[in-house]
Amino acid sequence: MAPIKNTDTTVREYIITVFTENQVGVLGRITSIFTRRKINIESLKVSETPVKGISMFTIHAFTTEDMACRILSGIERIIEVLRADKYRTDEFTAQQIALYKVSPELFRKGGDACLREHNARVIEINPAYVVLERTGAKEEIDALRDYLSGSGMLMQFTHSENIVLHDASVENALNEIAGRGSYLGD
Amino acid sequence: MKYTEKKNITGAEALLSSLINQGVKTVFGYPGGSITPVYDRLQDYPELRHLLTRHEQGAVHAAQGYARVSNRTGVCMATSGPGATNLLTGIADAMLDSTPVVCIAAQVPSTALGTDFFQEADMINMTVPITKWNYQITRFDEIVPTLAKAFYIAASGRPGPVYIEVTKDALLERGDYKWEPCTGIRSYNPVPAVDADAVQEALTLINDAERPLILVGNGVKISGAEEAVIRLAEAGNIPVAATLMGLSCIPSGHPLNIGMVGMHGNVAGNRMTQEADLLVAIGMRFSDRVTGNLNTYAPKAKVIHIEIDPVEIDKNVRTDLAIVADAREAVEAILGAGAIIRKSRAEWFEAAERYAAEERERVIDRQLRPERDTLTMGETVAAVARQTAGEAVIVTDVGQHQMMAARYSAYKHTRSLITSGGLGTMGYGLPAAIGAKVALDEEATAREGRPARGREVVVFLGDGGFQMTMQELGTMLHWGIPVKVVVLNNSFLGMVRQWQQLFMGKRYNATELVNPDFVKIAEAYGIPAQRITRREELGEAVETLLKTEGPCFIEVIVGKEDNVFPMVPGGASLDDLLYSE
Ligand SMILES: Cc1ncc(C[n+]2csc(CCOP(=O)(O)OP(=O)(O)O)c2C)c(N)n1
Repeated sequence: MAPIKNTDTTVREYIITVFTENQVGVLGRITSIFTRRKINIESLKVSETPVKGISMFTIHAFTTEDMACRILSGIERIIEVLRADKYRTDEFTAQQIALYKVSPELFRKGGDACLREHNARVIEINPAYVVLERTGAKEEIDALRDYLSGSGMLMQFTHSENIVLHDASVENALNEIAGRGSYLGD
Repeated sequence: MKYTEKKNITGAEALLSSLINQGVKTVFGYPGGSITPVYDRLQDYPELRHLLTRHEQGAVHAAQGYARVSNRTGVCMATSGPGATNLLTGIADAMLDSTPVVCIAAQVPSTALGTDFFQEADMINMTVPITKWNYQITRFDEIVPTLAKAFYIAASGRPGPVYIEVTKDALLERGDYKWEPCTGIRSYNPVPAVDADAVQEALTLINDAERPLILVGNGVKISGAEEAVIRLAEAGNIPVAATLMGLSCIPSGHPLNIGMVGMHGNVAGNRMTQEADLLVAIGMRFSDRVTGNLNTYAPKAKVIHIEIDPVEIDKNVRTDLAIVADAREAVEAILGAGAIIRKSRAEWFEAAERYAAEERERVIDRQLRPERDTLTMGETVAAVARQTAGEAVIVTDVGQHQMMAARYSAYKHTRSLITSGGLGTMGYGLPAAIGAKVALDEEATAREGRPARGREVVVFLGDGGFQMTMQELGTMLHWGIPVKVVVLNNSFLGMVRQWQQLFMGKRYNATELVNPDFVKIAEAYGIPAQRITRREELGEAVETLLKTEGPCFIEVIVGKEDNVFPMVPGGASLDDLLYSE
């Protein structure tokens, strides 16, 4: 009965997708909503959607459910924001793509087994180095990195942000606002 | 709308034309380098009154006072750099108190942006977290659409401050002007439709409740929901309490009004929150100053939250039913959704009466009938309330006198208390009072078709806060703005001293003030002034204050170490009210 909020303090990874008018300053407004609460943005991608003038932001951050809700409603309040959604990565299949540049020595030390075990494949091979690629959950990506660096063979490593299957589409965002008056053509 | 089309004018003229088209009559401002093109043209637009303040903070607070008393957007203007940064406190204040203001500043030429040009400050980034919207204009073409959008955004939905800056080259650029109002922005839905199902559910919850309490906030004033709220309360025989920001939206004398809730709220409001089985919160945001410890807040209550800004829903308290909509529309929808059952609630109102009596006995009597010679803040405020018969608009600064003014004033009309609630900005009072008086006189003049005076504005200030913006006495002098000033002088930063006394073992530090002669200061500004130290003088002094044609000033010497009670200490439960030291 008491109107006490349920404040689950578990910190989880969230992906927040935002569709906005493509205008100067929106990025600053969005990041300020995170920074004023001292929440680090782990990764951020901004690009124009297939619909001209509409941008999509994909933001990863670790926070609690309560905070994620506040952040989301803060973002929705930005004048230029058309629609925002949040997803918990542990509720979806989140995958990353990673590239590992390793010493060719790998194949002298049982590289095939390593490739099989880690579900990785070779995408480039030359006398100086070998490039491996794998797709997987962050832990899996990290496990291969740790193995390779532990054995002294890792030369370079890079990975993408998490990609999650979600239903945030520019069509949904546009449906949301269909029928609202347009002004300034923006 | 006066200027539809104009050929070959400057950006500065376009800006001024748009202000006039928006219905702006008064701009509070302060000139400087980058904004000179605007000031140069301003004289050609006599329908736009520019009131020069004595500090840009004064200009923005005046615009806020103007907006708060009239529900019309206030406008202020400043130059780039320091002029603009001086607006920041007021902008932040307007953000927290949902006040529609459009703040316009100049900026260095667009070609110089980012070069640390003379008087360049990155105001766009500085104002991001404290504005509802901001925009930098660098071209003539942007002026019309941006200004229209600025006013639309500031006033619609949950109002707030908008900051617009115009680079100097855009102010000088020439172009053809064609006015076009803003009627909507596709990414912005300011007034969500009332959900009919939620309204039905609200009706059921209200009809089921035995001990309901309506809590009203600033949103009631903003949306003009006062009458609907009173009808709802009367229909269901439901007591109404107000937050500090909501005070005056129900007349003090209304039989269902049980006063204020929160840190220095009335006993009835706070105790009944704890006993209520239903809170109907309308246009308020459950701020920490209202709820105290959230874990013990309203332990028996279901909560209906009527609020236009979805951000506020479930932010601090868990709501059982949210209606995200304009307060007036939502309350009217509830009234129209079916019969509201009128219950006698005898015990509930007896409780209200018991708590009010308790407060009278333990707190109010000591303020109003003190057994000592030194005056109290409460009796001063009450003297003003009596002599104005609750007709005046009360403005306050921040501190003990603010709480005393809020508690002991009488309100007959809505929007009669103007105070910095969310940011608690010392220095707000005097300039906000100036802005409020300007708006009221402007309305009276429009109503009567000749120069006329609106309701009286009385501002209560502490000796500390007065000194933060006291140069605005110059604005009163310059423009003959008849604000009535009451400085409640305790020679302390009273509210901080109170906390030091109650919670820090009376280790007073940096709170005692060595003050100048305030009466002489007021007189130096040509304002009739007197200092009151004795009870016998008070009535007559207030009478003089009120009947003086122009501005007038009194300083009342009050008890140095008096405290504001009742009090819910910061972070404590509403159950743990303090009645005295
Ligand atoms: C700009 C600003 N600085 C500091 C404070 C903290 N503060 C809150 S109340 C207060 C004391 C106010 O003293 P005074 O104006 O004399 O009023 P009193 O409490 O004595 O009525 C202070 C310093 C504030 N609210 N605003």
